[in-house]
Amino acid sequence: MINRKQELPLKDDSSSLFLQVMITIAVFLFAVTLAGVLSINSMLLNWNQSILGSLTVQIMPVNSIDKDKAREETLEHQNKAVRFLESRPEIEKAVPLKDEQLEKLIRPWLGDGTNIGDLPVPRLIDVKVKKGENINFAELAEKLANASPQASLDNHKLWLNKLIRFADGLKMLAMSILLLVVTIASGAIFYSTQTSLGLHKYIIEILHMMGAKDTYVAQQYAKRTAYLGLTSGAAGLALAVPAIFAISRLAEQIEGGIISEATLSWGSWVLILSLPLFSSLIATVTAYYTVKRTLEKMM
Amino acid sequence: MHKKHLIKEKKYFIKYYICYKLKVLNRKGVFILLNKDSSIPAIIEMQNVGIRYGQGPEILSDIKLSLKKGSFHFLTGKSGAGKTSLLSMMYLAQKPSRGIVNVFGKNVNFTNRDSLSLLRRKIGVVFQDFRLLDHLSAFDNVALPLRVCGMDEREVRKRVKELLQWVELDRHMLDTPATLSGGEKQRIAIARAVINRPELLLADEPTGNVDNDIAPKLMKLFVELNKLGTTVVIATHSEKLINDFNYPRLHLQNRGLRIFYPNDVSGLGGNI
Repeated sequence: MINRKQELPLKDDSSSLFLQVMITIAVFLFAVTLAGVLSINSMLLNWNQSILGSLTVQIMPVNSIDKDKAREETLEHQNKAVRFLESRPEIEKAVPLKDEQLEKLIRPWLGDGTNIGDLPVPRLIDVKVKKGENINFAELAEKLANASPQASLDNHKLWLNKLIRFADGLKMLAMSILLLVVTIASGAIFYSTQTSLGLHKYIIEILHMMGAKDTYVAQQYAKRTAYLGLTSGAAGLALAVPAIFAISRLAEQIEGGIISEATLSWGSWVLILSLPLFSSLIATVTAYYTVKRTLEKMM
Repeated sequence: MHKKHLIKEKKYFIKYYICYKLKVLNRKGVFILLNKDSSIPAIIEMQNVGIRYGQGPEILSDIKLSLKKGSFHFLTGKSGAGKTSLLSMMYLAQKPSRGIVNVFGKNVNFTNRDSLSLLRRKIGVVFQDFRLLDHLSAFDNVALPLRVCGMDEREVRKRVKELLQWVELDRHMLDTPATLSGGEKQRIAIARAVINRPELLLADEPTGNVDNDIAPKLMKLFVELNKLGTTVVIATHSEKLINDFNYPRLHLQNRGLRIFYPNDVSGLGGNI
């Protein structure tokens, strides 16, 4: 039985193992960073939607020596504000937060066992705006203040803009890391291919004597690195997926409802799972053009 | 007796089959005779060619040469006279430091890498040290020139098997060069050189590493190929070989090239 053997014994190259390790690490880092970028993207999207579709009304607590009276007055202001908001055509619904919800919000700062009734904590109303409605924020705030003097309107823009800028910065940093990983991996493939060409110079000379074009040699390298890119990429991905889940679990444990909004969609997962194909493509193109360029200079 | 006759007939058939494949026989089985007149195109032409390595002196100077299609020449000269350099220029592994080299009518100085590769496919080379690929089988070594041309694998297998049978190495098809004798390696190298039906066959000391009884057999093979239309140049030190075959001799001496014809008794030779 005659099985065709490749003229260039690239399988036995010592640089193969180095390349495998390099590509595995590169794909691992790429996958984890990409997951980060995609999560930040989804988070930004969620935040933007929340800016567009929701408002928060804050009812400042009434100061009085009699705590119960103060609490009743504050709740009265809250009810007035809710009634006013529900009467507005652009508002879909206005839901005051219950004591348990408020306690949950202040728990990270004050700990468990806090009784909201004992504290001069503002009451909050979660307001949903009807889709497609343009709100005159200043006008609404003024009218709300007339209806309920203790109420103030917050459209989240101030603090969310800061968060968005911070998230954008993180995204840029992650994109730089992605670029760096691709550059380092391509560089490793470039130098490893050049070393291999030097090792197999004798065989390549014979192939040239037989009439082989540079593309013939380049195709053998491209084929080999495509295989290495795919298998090592798959190994890197196999390591990255549990790491992404672990990081995601850790993020979920952070309370406050900010980080937990960073989720990966099915589209994001498809993109991450296709990384071995991407690494194979980069490896193939880099090896092919490295061979072509080096042979032109070498021989 | 009958068995011997059958073997002889089989060998005769194989030889004629390959001749037909190499397109030097017409359909009636008559050899197409080579035109010996001066209008035959030159396969290789050199004008005022010089070769030097780095900043060193020229090892070949003002070489003028015209090898006609279908010719047979020996290339001689002392060690270091530049035989290998001249051959390497012929098989396009080296460009001249000065002068013009035309191979198959193309000036190698102005031919791009891909076109040079296409020209090399018309040239078969037998190296002194064989230059077989040790990790490949005899089959894969012989198949090399066909595969680099992108020939269909079925056709490659058919041709290589036929040729390995012809050089009586079909039993060693799957053996690597390390397990073969010098003579067997030499035949593999020759099979590799001729598998692609070259128009030009260059051999550097092809009998240098083989036993005395194998050398004449290999020479007969080259003569047969020449009769089939291949232009042959053989670099050798062996005076016996040159005297046994009546072919012109290209002799390198004092950095120049002179030609000696078999009937030239003056010993001075002439310029080409």
